[in-house]
Amino acid sequence: MSNSFIIGQYVPGSSIVHRLDPRTKITIIFFFVIIIFFANNLLSYGVLAFFALLSMFTTKIKISYILKGLKPVWFIVIFTFILHLLVTKDGEVLFSIFSFEVYSGALYKGLEISLRFTLLILMTSLLTLTTTPISITDGVESMLNPLRKIHFPVHELALMMSISLRFIPTLMQETEKISKAQASRGVDFRTGKMKERIKAVVPLLVPLFVSAFKRAEELAMAMEARGYNGGEGRTKFRELKLQRVDAFIFIFSALILVVFFFTRV
Amino acid sequence: MTQSKRNFRTIDLTIGALFVGLMAIGANIAIWMPFLKVSIGSATVPISLQTFFATLAGLLLGKRLGAFSMFVYICVGCVGVPVFAEMTGGIGQLASPTGGFIISFIFVAWAAGYIVEKQQSSSYLTYAIAALAGLMMNYIIGTNFLYIALNTWMELSISYSAAWQSMIPFFIKDFALAFFVASLAKVLVTRVQLSKASYIA
Repeated sequence: MSNSFIIGQYVPGSSIVHRLDPRTKITIIFFFVIIIFFANNLLSYGVLAFFALLSMFTTKIKISYILKGLKPVWFIVIFTFILHLLVTKDGEVLFSIFSFEVYSGALYKGLEISLRFTLLILMTSLLTLTTTPISITDGVESMLNPLRKIHFPVHELALMMSISLRFIPTLMQETEKISKAQASRGVDFRTGKMKERIKAVVPLLVPLFVSAFKRAEELAMAMEARGYNGGEGRTKFRELKLQRVDAFIFIFSALILVVFFFTRV
Repeated sequence: MTQSKRNFRTIDLTIGALFVGLMAIGANIAIWMPFLKVSIGSATVPISLQTFFATLAGLLLGKRLGAFSMFVYICVGCVGVPVFAEMTGGIGQLASPTGGFIISFIFVAWAAGYIVEKQQSSSYLTYAIAALAGLMMNYIIGTNFLYIALNTWMELSISYSAAWQSMIPFFIKDFALAFFVASLAKVLVTRVQLSKASYIA
């Protein structure tokens, strides 16, 4: 479990989408998320769905796996769809169940929103499926670089993200260990009222926090011992480079964007 | 030379980063402690300690670093690491109607840190006020986000009061929890400070 955690949802592969620069992917998805709200007819949704499905197939990740990742979202999609049927009252009455009337407008609207939301989640999850968290972090750092001018701590943000990616699995193992250790000492986690059970988290949290602070202190000391002195003049181990394929995909996406604006009403 | 220009000390960076990990654990504490699941009707809702940990971030790290480490937490979640509640991740989580509650953690930490820095005391009362302020931030931002999300990109016309009414059962639970949080925080802060953590704000 700890290993899968660092990787997040990433699925290794060598498809075009995998090989793209993270900055290319982030930019495309950023624009996709914005323009999806400009879609206003079946054809424009079709263009976006075509683009999303095309990207999905080029990743060469198993479709069933991608759909499994969307599972937490199904609930929201179905929930909104049903709410639309209940609330929206446009168009003509299609049919009625127990004196409750379903309007055609509600059905269309519900389907539209469900489609929009599904596309949104599909595209954003493609980013995390084909890119490791570390390289997304590198991409974000390089894209936020201009913000340094207004003293936004870009380097610190990226560094903290990398450190926490490294330490999340460690802390999780530690939580597991501490809860077992405390149980073996007779801390009762299972019985009692809710109030007492919540109090039982104290013997878990105190050692967890103390050790986290200790780790942070050790790490900081180790970094300073090796001459860490902030982001100024620091060189990078992993360097990002735009390839020809990035330019190609950019032009292709721009074309899709143009087509999209022609299909709108 | 560059020392004066730096935003954070090295220890601030590492502690903030470790807090991101602690948040990930707080969000999913029910995995290690299954007894923290509350059954409401037929559904079981796992209690999450996210608001609690965000409040603690403010209490222990101060408003600036606390809020920044919560921002890092959200960024880590957005790049796809499953650190949000129920082991979810990805930027899509912020687009969902409840995404505002995630965003609010930045302000929860900031508010809690602000109150502690202002009061300059570590009494139970201060922590209770800080925890309640955090809770208010959590619900004000989260519920308004929910309302806006439903009415704009979900295109559902839900009234403002209905959005708040749907939050009442959760609010009661969290309100009661806030007082536990305050007493827990008091224990934690003294213990952590005892373990020679002299660098705490």
